[in-house]
Amino acid sequence: MNGFDDSVLSLLVVLPFATALALILWPGDSDQLRSMKWFSAVVALVSTALVAWILLRFDYTDGSQYQFISETAWLDQLGIGFDLGVDGIAVAMLALTAIAFPAAILVGWNVDARSKDYLILLNLLVGGVYGTFVSLDLFFLFFFYEIAVLPMYLLIGFWGSSTSFPRFTRSKEYSAMKLVLFLVGGSVLIWVSIIAMFVEADLNSFSLLDLQRAGFDESFQNWVFPLLMIGFGLLGGLWPLHTWSPDGHVSAPTSVSMLHAGVLMKLGAFGIIRVGIQTIPEGAEAWAPLLLGMGAVNVIYGSIAAMSQTDLKYVIGYSSVSHMGYVFLGLATMHTLGVTGAVLQMFSHGIMTALMFTLAGAVYGSSHTRDIGALSGLAKVMPVGAFFFAVAGFASLGLPGFSGFVAELLVFLGLFQTYPWVGALAVIGAGITAVYMLRLLAKVYFGETDPRWESLPDLKLNEKLVAGMLALTLLIVGLAPFYLIDIIREGVRHVPTVTG
Amino acid sequence: MGTDAAFLAPVIPAIAFALILITGRRIPGIAPHLSIAAILASFVVWVVVFLAFLEDGAGTRSVEWFTVGGFEFTWGATVDEISLVMLGVVSFVAIGIQIYSLEYLHGEPRLWWYFAVQSLFAAAMMVLVLADNLLLLYLGWELVGLGSYLLIGFWWERRSAAEAAKKAFVTTRIGDVALLIGFVLLFEATGTFDISTITQLAHAGTIDETQLKWALIFIFGGAAGKSAQIPLHVWLPDAMEGPTPVSALIHAATMVVAGVYLVVRLFPIYNMVPEALDLIAVIGLLTALLAGVTALAMTDLKRILAYSTVSHLGFMMLAVGAGAPGVAMFHLLAHAFAKASLFLGAGSISHGSGQTDIQEMGGLWRRMPFTAVMFWIGALSLAGLPLLSGFFSKDEILLAVHDGRLNDGFLVVTFVAVAFSVLYTGRMLYQVFLGRLSTENEDAHEPGIRMWAPIGVFALLAAVLGPLAFEWGHDYHGFVSWVTDSEEGFHINMAISGASIAIVAVGLYLTGLIYMQRRISATAIQRRLGFMATAAQRKFYFDEVYQWGINQLVLPLARLTAFIDRAWVNDIGVDGPGKTTRWGGGVLRYLQTGMVYNYALGMVIGAVVLGVIWWSI
Repeated sequence: MNGFDDSVLSLLVVLPFATALALILWPGDSDQLRSMKWFSAVVALVSTALVAWILLRFDYTDGSQYQFISETAWLDQLGIGFDLGVDGIAVAMLALTAIAFPAAILVGWNVDARSKDYLILLNLLVGGVYGTFVSLDLFFLFFFYEIAVLPMYLLIGFWGSSTSFPRFTRSKEYSAMKLVLFLVGGSVLIWVSIIAMFVEADLNSFSLLDLQRAGFDESFQNWVFPLLMIGFGLLGGLWPLHTWSPDGHVSAPTSVSMLHAGVLMKLGAFGIIRVGIQTIPEGAEAWAPLLLGMGAVNVIYGSIAAMSQTDLKYVIGYSSVSHMGYVFLGLATMHTLGVTGAVLQMFSHGIMTALMFTLAGAVYGSSHTRDIGALSGLAKVMPVGAFFFAVAGFASLGLPGFSGFVAELLVFLGLFQTYPWVGALAVIGAGITAVYMLRLLAKVYFGETDPRWESLPDLKLNEKLVAGMLALTLLIVGLAPFYLIDIIREGVRHVPTVTG
Repeated sequence: MGTDAAFLAPVIPAIAFALILITGRRIPGIAPHLSIAAILASFVVWVVVFLAFLEDGAGTRSVEWFTVGGFEFTWGATVDEISLVMLGVVSFVAIGIQIYSLEYLHGEPRLWWYFAVQSLFAAAMMVLVLADNLLLLYLGWELVGLGSYLLIGFWWERRSAAEAAKKAFVTTRIGDVALLIGFVLLFEATGTFDISTITQLAHAGTIDETQLKWALIFIFGGAAGKSAQIPLHVWLPDAMEGPTPVSALIHAATMVVAGVYLVVRLFPIYNMVPEALDLIAVIGLLTALLAGVTALAMTDLKRILAYSTVSHLGFMMLAVGAGAPGVAMFHLLAHAFAKASLFLGAGSISHGSGQTDIQEMGGLWRRMPFTAVMFWIGALSLAGLPLLSGFFSKDEILLAVHDGRLNDGFLVVTFVAVAFSVLYTGRMLYQVFLGRLSTENEDAHEPGIRMWAPIGVFALLAAVLGPLAFEWGHDYHGFVSWVTDSEEGFHINMAISGASIAIVAVGLYLTGLIYMQRRISATAIQRRLGFMATAAQRKFYFDEVYQWGINQLVLPLARLTAFIDRAWVNDIGVDGPGKTTRWGGGVLRYLQTGMVYNYALGMVIGAVVLGVIWWSI
């Protein structure tokens, strides 16, 4: 490994924060907005290039669990160090972030109100996301996790939208508050578990490398894992704690929805793997049936709830709840097939949902409604939007050729190796997806075009760019999944208690 | 060599699809060229592969796709008799259909999109046909479903077309859920998707019997969805919302036979599980019968043809269930060309006369003699008129039911189903072409060459393919034996053939009396039949039952779930604690009065309570 390899992860984490700082210090006039946007976009692409470097340099034959390790002592008295490193699972998540973040910046190009602050918060959020994925120290992992979550409050609360439904109203303040209270509640559980692990291991170290070797005794593992599972699972949309998520989507602006469903929810699942299963393996094994049960409810409940929604974004929100269920199911199998599928599903769902929110945002941006009953025949005025929505919809319902199919297939295969009945249920859930996705497509895009929508514009250039890029990613990973799967597999291989 | 080249057959149309997507909208008129050139190239590939097959015999070639844990997933092609028959039919029929579409859809603004999807469909169908493993087969299977969805919904501005497309995809998707469960069950038992390995392991007895049985039954569920078997047949008649050439290609000749193809492909495994074959036979026969009856009650020409397709798919399934996959393939071949010419003929009629309802037609042979003759050939072939190819294939089905593993009850019902296919054919032919030409159809006219040529070619094939059934030499003991790689020659059962010919004669005579000479009144028969006629006209209420299920069960469940999510999970679970806290704060704030004597009183009470506790201990 050369010098750059040692510092590439630090650079990746520091870059968004440095960008945020630079934007804060930027002599901020509204005439500078264009250059600030360009600056953010370019920096986002630089971090994408860094991730590409990591992908290319990742060594399949290395055999050691973590690569690109860099360790910097920070607070020796408490055993806290700024330790970074990635395994295959983290690399897959980095790839996801590296695609979703520039996409979100591009889609957020049209945000006019206080866009400087908007960009600062987006950068903070993504810095936290990158940090969480690459931290090998629980203190910093938690620190970055919190940084990733908290900007959501402002992003939804200020830039979001409030919507009145026939029987209730979702104000952006309500959704933002709900989201943050839920996630902070989860954080409490996570923080308690981390402290408990620190004390129980008695190694005076927050380093994951140490803690993963600590060999906690069974009774300890059995009470700590559920705390982690609930704490992180919350952010992943684990039923019945998913309820912040659809509301958050409905109120959030487009690019925030993209990052929220695309990347943030993956932090939760990632936490379950990294802090949960990898560090507390026997606890995970003992509690897997509960995770399995809740994941199964996620899949079925989410898809049935999505069927009767009248708001475009609620459908996608509940669809996310349903799709994240496959991640939990895959993890609960503790089988190579299932866990690999779960991680691939995290990647694939992130891209797919980002695409879907881009298109829903384009519809809302020009028609100012997301009411499925009011929209019809949009394919005539926005053919490109309709095309990409069909791509996203079919990717979502698990059409082979798109990445979601491979991911879900692996989850199914893993489930049938371990819990065949749940596997059958999961396949049925994927079947229901077709019902609500095609309903959406038929109602919103097909049929006669309502006169109100005759003059709607098609996707703007930035939206076309993003949609094309995301759709292409879905297709490439769907047809040639081996590249990503080889990386993920290298990470899954090191997860204890995973068999097969 | 042959198997290597076979890869090209799906790849070329796939490339054409990508090219059309990129250039189709910008360069007007390029899409049809790309698409037709690609499908012609695929056909050439088929010829090359077929010739190589005659030299080298069957073969399989596969490459690794990805590996997880100890499991390898592959992409590969199998070239054997079954896949070659299918590949030939698909590429050949697709050529004719695409050329026909040039004229039929002339002036259509989205023509480039039509040809893009045609190429996508061709590629997917060839993947399905050639796949050597269940995973790749599933990929092709779902993508042909996508092609079908997009083409049924080609005129998506029409609400009915959009709904029909959705209905087709969702209905087949129900089957596909079962299909995937079946595939995954087989994977669980064997650790592979490779069809020949699974077959070997099944024969070696390493797969648990119950698991194998259920896997096969589930897989048949998928086949039933795609091949429109009862009760999943409801989507096919509605699929006629698509352009007529699409109905000919996808919903008659190629995609809908995928289910039949699948059970034929897996027949060596199905053959080990009698229960699964029984199920296939029963469902197939039921489908053949009910769809035949329904076809007799329909008045829309394309819908009659659609129900006829459902009925014939039932016959094919019945043949498989009887233990004769080769016969199913033979009927598939005969049906493909006959039905393609019929649908194209129907398209030519609606193109030339503007009519779709057979009651509005009549005497059309005067204005469209060529179409009429070709239509008669195709229809009579399927009705089983001697010497046309359908006669041979239908005879073989009856023979298989008679000789095979099924009991005699099946044979009787099969004859009844055959009788209905003669009746609806006769009714259709007489009403459309004979009788008086109505004044509004005076202007009906024949189509141009790009439409009539494909009709003629398909009708010709439907007429002459019959002798393929015979034994031609030492290497060829008749089509059925060739397809299934057996030595058994072709034979004829005089009693069955005689009965079959008699049914055709009587059926055509009877319908002639009713619909041509009008000696017997159709409405009188209808009245006599009472509710049975109504039931047939209402398509045996399948749609009504499903609609009831959706309206009364599925949607309420969805609404209930959404309600629970808002009212319980959110309003009680989330807002509840929030409101309780606020309420609690509101109540408790009275405790903080800020007045010293209140706090002093509290201290005194506390001290007294503590004192009492201390005393009592």
